[in-house]
Amino acid sequence: MRQPVRVLVVDDSALMRKLIPQIIERDSSIQVVGTAMDGTFALRKIEELKPNVITLDLEMPRMDGMATLKEITKRYRIPVIVVSSHTTQGASTTFKALSHGAFDFVAKPKDVLSAQMDEIAGELISKIKAAAGTKVSPNVHELDFIPAKANKRKLERRQPPVKTVAIGISTGGPNALQYMLSQLPADFPGAIVVVQHMPEGFTELFARRLDECCSVEVKEAQSGDMLLAGRVLICPGNRHIKVRRMPLGDIVVLSDEERVNGHRPSVDVLFRSVATEFGRDCIAVLMTGMGEDGAEGMGAVKQAGGLTVAQSEDSCVVYGMPKAAVERGYANRVVPLDAMANTLQAQCVAGRARTGANTQ
Amino acid sequence: MNFFSDERADELRNIFFESAQELLQALNDEGLVLERDPSDPEVVRNIRRTVHTLKGDSAACGYRELSELAHELEDVLTPELAKSANTHLAELILSAADIFDAMLAAYKGEMQPPAGDSLREMIRSVIAPTGDSGDEPLLPKFAWTEYERLVISQHAVRGQLVYNVALVIDTNCPMRAAALQLISNVLQEVGTVLVMHPDADTPSADVKLVEVALASHHQADWITKKGKIPAVVSRILVEQLAASEPVPAPEPEHDLLGILNDVPAPVPAPADEPAPAPVNPAPILGTRGYEPHHGPRTDAEKAASERQAVALENLLRVDADRIDSVLDLVGELIISKSMLQQAVADFGKRFAKDPLRSKFADAMGFQAQVLNKLQRSVMKIRMVPVEQLFRRFPRVVRDVSKQQNKDVALVLEGENTDLDKTILDALAEPMTHLVRNAVDHGIEPPEQRIAAGKPPQGTIRLNAYHQANQVVIEISDDGRGIDREAVIAKAISSGILKPDDAARLNDTEVLHLIFHAGLSTAEHITNISGRGVGMDVVKAVIDRLKGSISIHTEVGVGTTFRLRLPLTLAIIKALLFHVNSRLYAVPLGSVLEIARASESDIHVVDNHEVLQMRDEVVTLVRLNKLVPGASGQKGKRLFIIVVAMADRKFGLVVDRLKGEEELVIKALDDQIVATELVNGASILGDGTVVLILNISAVVERLGRAAMLGNDGRLVAGATV
Repeated sequence: MRQPVRVLVVDDSALMRKLIPQIIERDSSIQVVGTAMDGTFALRKIEELKPNVITLDLEMPRMDGMATLKEITKRYRIPVIVVSSHTTQGASTTFKALSHGAFDFVAKPKDVLSAQMDEIAGELISKIKAAAGTKVSPNVHELDFIPAKANKRKLERRQPPVKTVAIGISTGGPNALQYMLSQLPADFPGAIVVVQHMPEGFTELFARRLDECCSVEVKEAQSGDMLLAGRVLICPGNRHIKVRRMPLGDIVVLSDEERVNGHRPSVDVLFRSVATEFGRDCIAVLMTGMGEDGAEGMGAVKQAGGLTVAQSEDSCVVYGMPKAAVERGYANRVVPLDAMANTLQAQCVAGRARTGANTQ
Repeated sequence: MNFFSDERADELRNIFFESAQELLQALNDEGLVLERDPSDPEVVRNIRRTVHTLKGDSAACGYRELSELAHELEDVLTPELAKSANTHLAELILSAADIFDAMLAAYKGEMQPPAGDSLREMIRSVIAPTGDSGDEPLLPKFAWTEYERLVISQHAVRGQLVYNVALVIDTNCPMRAAALQLISNVLQEVGTVLVMHPDADTPSADVKLVEVALASHHQADWITKKGKIPAVVSRILVEQLAASEPVPAPEPEHDLLGILNDVPAPVPAPADEPAPAPVNPAPILGTRGYEPHHGPRTDAEKAASERQAVALENLLRVDADRIDSVLDLVGELIISKSMLQQAVADFGKRFAKDPLRSKFADAMGFQAQVLNKLQRSVMKIRMVPVEQLFRRFPRVVRDVSKQQNKDVALVLEGENTDLDKTILDALAEPMTHLVRNAVDHGIEPPEQRIAAGKPPQGTIRLNAYHQANQVVIEISDDGRGIDREAVIAKAISSGILKPDDAARLNDTEVLHLIFHAGLSTAEHITNISGRGVGMDVVKAVIDRLKGSISIHTEVGVGTTFRLRLPLTLAIIKALLFHVNSRLYAVPLGSVLEIARASESDIHVVDNHEVLQMRDEVVTLVRLNKLVPGASGQKGKRLFIIVVAMADRKFGLVVDRLKGEEELVIKALDDQIVATELVNGASILGDGTVVLILNISAVVERLGRAAMLGNDGRLVAGATV
């Protein structure tokens, strides 16, 4: 049998120090080797217990989570999963943590005595396993946060997109998306709709952060928002997103339907709807993430004549979702993260040339 | 199907309630600190973190109301608020602690928690002290989506008049769904309904406001007139949108949002609507480490907090029941030890020459020693510092003294004294009563104090210390003291004391009248002292804990209540004796001395028997009156066990002493022994059952009753 994943739980709440181990130790391949109530103890216990994965609360007395995280990433190569609260401030700190090398985050368990607990547990467990399976190299995730407002919004006149790009992404997503979207030019001719698996309450801030560092416009989607060239719409947590063609332009519609593949938002829901509405004029991109959400939807896009792109294994934090699509033969192309922005740009510009040629 | 088994869920809930209680205590402590120094940002930060943890924990347990309220509180606890040094903040925090406490209590009892609206009100008044509450909840927002705005602008571009129409549905309108349909139909007659929120297809039952974008060639007053459907629409607002003058023809398709810019921005949400995600421009807390605001902390302080943290980290949270079950087993071991001892003793008697004897004795001795240590360590687990109890009183004193306009300082001493957790928990209520009483009745108002030549600020002192095998807790005040005559007067007027008897009572006896149920309820009841627990209840609790309470008072100088409590309830050292050939025991701790006497030494004074001991007169209690059966040993010498009860000495008359022994107390099923005279029972090594007497109840029944003479039967029986 394989070695169990050794986890250290760091949280200042006694309840959480009891609860989180109980949740994750339901999986027999995970073993909680210790708990710590603040950063100072966490560092001491890392030395002593050599965990494979650390879950970390960001809000703690004495040495707080952020300082702890920096210290851990500086000294060790142990993946850290941030356990974050649902507030605006919590979300903001969480994204900062991600850019400082946290592997991923989960929302603090809520309503643990309810039936929904299985999902929360599943998420936490699979993230821990995914984290244990990755090699963390120091500073590889550290992204500079450069505000890119300068050349934005100068483009007063917005155009309808030549193509609709649908992106499905999960674990490792926040950093990968920031990396890729910040490379797109302000006049990117396509419209982008993103399903990033993320709990409710985090997406708004996530979109705002991306908007600040990207030339393209990034916004959390609202029902009725229009697909426009150079615009990225991020699906809010706990909703599904679909696209719809309307007489005056194309829009996104949010809905509260059941979870699909255990997810809401689900990549499959988005992909199927772009396949139906846009057929050949869409690109489906499946990027880093656990599980298989989006693989079948990608098949539908391919079937409808759209382009399907999977992120390459070596550039993924977790090669799960792209792998599922590749293995089923649904991916037209496999592209590393570095080349993703260029690929999309090239595809959309080509699309514009073609539509331009048609209209003349 | 739940994720957690019921057992697990219960365990988690218990942890939650326990840690929540600690968080609330911390909140109370911090609130009091804040009251003294409202501008300390460090304290506000601590409070915020405390509230944050409470929020997270309660959300985890699914206690939504509490979690939401904590969330709202957390959100306002910004560094700016700390800087504003708002004096209401402390009040807010303390009230929050109270309301959270009430919610916790409700959750514990599986009841609906209080709504917490009063706290919300306070939160609002703290963040907006001017208190401008816009009373227009039905302001239309006309928050059209991008696409809808595009549709609207397309009509406007074609030169049509577009109106934003808001219709307030009459509160008495019975069928909202039909009303929506009706409104839609009427407006279609006036023009083209471009957008309608909510749309007629998805009617919701409680819709109050309908927002419509309407293209029409009619004037606004006409639309208003048509739209105001009687009994359906109570109010209507029509505003013209976009340009009445033709908009320059835009390049079709290539300037989608350019046109949209002409549409007026949505009306800002009214003040009492939840503002869209308050963006906090301040640096985010708890992410970059704290800047010291009061200069660097000294190394000593740091080391101290380090130590404390280490101690905390090594704390293990264990269910008290688990410790109790270990203690039970230790109890059984002690019983089996005495069985073994008995057997070894018998063996020794039978085979006096056998060399095994001394081996047995050695082994027994060793085992006894280990057992002793084991018992002591298990007991120690149950011990908690009395500080856990004392912590709550700063808040109590603050609240009561504030209510009464008194200035009272609270001094805590001996907080590190250990006490059994069960006892400590049981003491919370009576102690609270005594402390409240001390502020309420003990400490005088400042002007009276000044007149009496005392400092205007009163002092209440709580002290705890170990004495012999007991814990002593003192509650003293430097107030007016208890007036003997006032107590007597009250006792007579409430019928619990006959005027004739009054003169015979000594000071101690008078003071103890205040524990009488009839007297304490007859006290004038303020909402401070009259809270369900009277002095009689205080006494009852202390009795139940096998403790005692004594009072020292001096008029004009102050009063001290002294509680004496056993270190633990589970195992006692007891003195065993026979009465009418039955075996009984009393806690050794309450025994002052043992004397011998013969019947001829006993005198009858005022209907009760007394014994002259040196220069004291001790009231005698004949235990054989409790026991059915012949008291067969008349005229012989008697043993008198002298016990102290409420500062008085009583002599228990017994037939024969058996010796002292450690007894493991077993609770008695009330069905079997329906008497308060017995505290519990124990089993000796030879299997004999011994009843442990509740001395205060026994004395109450046989001694005091006779003394006060309000029980004819016993008085009659008391004459020999």
